[in-house]
Amino acid sequence: MTGDIIMAARFIGAGLSMIGALGAGIGIGLSVQGALEGMARNPDTYGNLLVNMILGIAFSEAIAIYCLVIAFLMLFQVV
Amino acid sequence: MEKTKKWRWGVNRWWVFLFIGLSIFFATRYPPIRPGIFVVPENVIPEPLFGNFYLTNTLVATIIVDIILISIALAVRSAAKSGSLVPKGISGAIEALLEAIYNLTESTAGKWTKTIFPIFATITLLVLFSNWLEMFPGVESIGRLHEGEHGYPAVAITEGISAIVKGDAAHAEGGHYEVVPFVRVPSTDLNFTLALALISVVMTQVIGFRAQGARYFSKFLNFTTLFKKPGFGLMDLLISILELISEFSKILSFSFRLFGNIFAGSVLLFLVGSILPAGAVWIQSGVLLFEFFIGLIQALVFGMLTMVFMSMATHGHGDEEEHAAA
Repeated sequence: MTGDIIMAARFIGAGLSMIGALGAGIGIGLSVQGALEGMARNPDTYGNLLVNMILGIAFSEAIAIYCLVIAFLMLFQVV
Repeated sequence: MEKTKKWRWGVNRWWVFLFIGLSIFFATRYPPIRPGIFVVPENVIPEPLFGNFYLTNTLVATIIVDIILISIALAVRSAAKSGSLVPKGISGAIEALLEAIYNLTESTAGKWTKTIFPIFATITLLVLFSNWLEMFPGVESIGRLHEGEHGYPAVAITEGISAIVKGDAAHAEGGHYEVVPFVRVPSTDLNFTLALALISVVMTQVIGFRAQGARYFSKFLNFTTLFKKPGFGLMDLLISILELISEFSKILSFSFRLFGNIFAGSVLLFLVGSILPAGAVWIQSGVLLFEFFIGLIQALVFGMLTMVFMSMATHGHGDEEEHAAA
């Protein structure tokens, strides 16, 4: 019975840790919005903006990845 | 006119069909199981090589990546020495990558390009090839059998070679087995990423010291304005201590960014392969394509951040005031 409670706590913890992906989603959305507006106003900067946008997305995404790693560690009983 | 090679659709098509057929055959014959997920890299040989030193599977992969990089370097060297100005094949691809990296470094670092570019290119190439090791079939799936508590029954294919199959482990006569892979992607080992992060941050300090001399360390403990203007001087001191802390947090964020991205990617591949039915095995190929992209992006991000921090270290805070005075 105790094992079941621990398992339930693992699932709840994994779910809670993924709340952090919220911020990453907002960040990615904002950076793509900015880049797209820039591209629409000045199509010549397309290539330059695309590279910087992908870099910014990678940084925001890393935050979500930290949360994902914690969730995986909880789910698969690594720690 | 240069003679262009004709695109051999007729041959390549059959190769693609062959690999699709092979993957469908193996996915139905031996359905993918969920392998054990370990953060710590496993030992290829259970006994230590000497003392307390084990041969881990990420170490094997790092050696493989080193061999690949050295052979590419030799191939590019022989192509460069042959005298033909138009690079062909792999040396052309490497030249395009290095030229893009060099131009990026030159636009950011200025006169320090010659110092920073080798570190940037080395880190990018090493991380790139170690991430792309995930693409090779057999990586993280071929290994020795390890009897454990969790696991799946094993079925012998031929003498000495067995496959782990999905199924109820309760009425398997052989017991429970897990695969300890011979080769595992180096970036899923925190030791690899932490070592790279330490190299990057320490070399940033070295380059900063070479560029600015002892003045560079006034960034970290700033007593210069403390006695002239006590109020703002104290604030400068506190800010410089924050700079010192952020230097250490760089090590953490460097190592965990790369480790987290690649480790989460490999776990995603395991899960997609084991949860989906055998008919949907092509979805895993799509995830693998995504991982290809992620590996490229993370390698570029690691190298580019190193380059940006290094070029920030070469010109200090005082420079702007000097320019304004001049």
